Amino acid sequence: MTEVEVRGLTKTFGRVTAVAGLSFTAPAGKVTGFLGPNGSGKTTTFRAVLGLVRPSAGEALIGGVPYRHLARPRRSVGALLDATGCHPGRRARDHLRVLAAGDGIPDRRVDEVLRQVDLASAGTRRVRGFSLGMRQRLGLAAALLGDPPVLLLDEPANGLDPAGVAWLRGLLRRLASEGRTVVVASHLLSEVAQTADQVVIVSAGRLRFAGSLGEIGQTDNALESAFLKLTMAPD
Amino acid sequence: MLLTIHGEFRKLTTIRGPWLLLAAGPLLVAAGISGLVESGGNIHDPQVQTQALAHVGLAAMLTLIFGILAVAGEYRHGTITDTYLSWPGRGRVIAAKLAVYALAGAAAGLVSSLTAVAVTAAWWAAKGSALQLSAGGSWQVLAGGVAANVAFAAIGVCVGALVRNLAGAIAVALAWIALVEGITGQLLGSGLARWLPFYASEALDRASLSPAIRLLPQWGGGLVLVGYAAAFTAAAFVTTLRRDVT
Repeated sequence: MTEVEVRGLTKTFGRVTAVAGLSFTAPAGKVTGFLGPNGSGKTTTFRAVLGLVRPSAGEALIGGVPYRHLARPRRSVGALLDATGCHPGRRARDHLRVLAAGDGIPDRRVDEVLRQVDLASAGTRRVRGFSLGMRQRLGLAAALLGDPPVLLLDEPANGLDPAGVAWLRGLLRRLASEGRTVVVASHLLSEVAQTADQVVIVSAGRLRFAGSLGEIGQTDNALESAFLKLTMAPD
Repeated sequence: MLLTIHGEFRKLTTIRGPWLLLAAGPLLVAAGISGLVESGGNIHDPQVQTQALAHVGLAAMLTLIFGILAVAGEYRHGTITDTYLSWPGRGRVIAAKLAVYALAGAAAGLVSSLTAVAVTAAWWAAKGSALQLSAGGSWQVLAGGVAANVAFAAIGVCVGALVRNLAGAIAVALAWIALVEGITGQLLGSGLARWLPFYASEALDRASLSPAIRLLPQWGGGLVLVGYAAAFTAAAFVTTLRRDVT
C-alpha cells in the first residue's frame, strides 16, 4: 500500500510562510480532495511531496520514502502541476517519450496513454497548436505514463469541456478502485463532493480539517458551507 | 546516468530551435572567410590563411547560447518541473546536459571546421593559389576552434543553470562578450586581461581580434578556459541542488 504522508511540513519563502506544520495522510484506494483558498499552500505542499521544494521543517513521504529516493519515480508517482509546461515546438508524443526515457518506459505505453486521454490522433502535432484542454489532457497522460500507484493532480479539470470533466470523474474513481492513492487539489467543490472519499482542507498553510466527506455531509452545499466556515475562521 | 543522457538526447532531437542555432555556425564561418577575402586579404600571406580558419572559434558564441538553452530553455517553457519529476537526481541532470551539449558543441565545431577548410580552399583556388593545411599551424587553429566550441557549450549550460531566466542569461552572456570583458580588460591592464575568458578563448582559437592584448599561448588559453568551465560547473551544481523549483 503506497500512501502519501505529510508530517509536520513547514515551508517558508523568505518571510512568507507558505505551509505551517501541516500533517495529513492520503491512503491508498481512496480519492483525497485537497482543498484550500488561493495561496493556502496546496501547490507548495505538492511540490514538497515531489521533491521540488525543500521543506523548512518536517517531511513528505511516498510509501515511506522521500520522492528523490524513489528508484523509478515515474512508475511510482504521477503528477499534474499547474506550472507544468511543454516545449511548443515538440510533438505531443515526443513530449511523453522524453519523460518516459527516465524510467525506460516503452513507446508502446506512450501510445496507450495518448489513446486513454483521447489524444491519439493529435500525437504527431506540435504542442504549439494545442488548446488549453488538450494541454491538460497531455499533462494527465504524463501523470498516467508510468502506471503509478500514486497520483497527485493539481486542478485536473482545468480547461476540460463538460464531457472531459465527466470522463475525468470516472477516471479518478476507477484509479482509486484499483487501489491507487489519488490526491486532487481543486476549487471545484461540487466535483470534489462527487468524487472524493475524504477531504483535507487547508488555509494559510495550516490544516483546518481532515476526514471523510461523510463527516461534512455529502451534498454540494454542505461541503461549500463547511469549506467557507473552515477557511475564513480567524487564526 | 545512461537513462538521463538518453533523455537529454531525446529532448534535443525532438525540437528544431537549437539545431537552427548551431546551423548558423558554418554559415557565419563561410560568410566571415568570404568577407576576409573580399575585403582585400592577401591570400599569399600565411597569416591571412590562419585568420580565415580562425573563424571556427568565433562560432563558439553560438554554442554558448546553445548551451544556455539547455537549462534556461527548460525554465522558459516550464518543462524543468517534469524533468526533475522524471530525474529527481538534479546533479545527474546537469551532468547529462553537460555531456550531451559538449558533444553537440564538438560536432558543431567539426562541421564549422570542414566548412572553413572547404570555403578557404575554394577561395584560394579561385584566386589562383592553393590552401596549405600543413602551413602556419592550421591544424592547431582548427583544433583550438573546435575546443572553444566545446568549452563554450559547457559554460553555456552552467550559465543557464545559474541564471535560469532565458532572456537574462543570454543578455548577460552577450553583454559580457560585447562590452563587459573589454572594459574589465582595460581596467585590469593587458597583463591580467589575458586571463579573462574571451581573451583566453582568442588565445585558444588564435582569432587575435585584440591586437592590444598580449594573449596567452594557445595551450594556456585552453587551460584557462577549462578552469572557467570547471568553476562554472561547480557553481551550477551547488545552486541547482539547493534551489527550490517553484
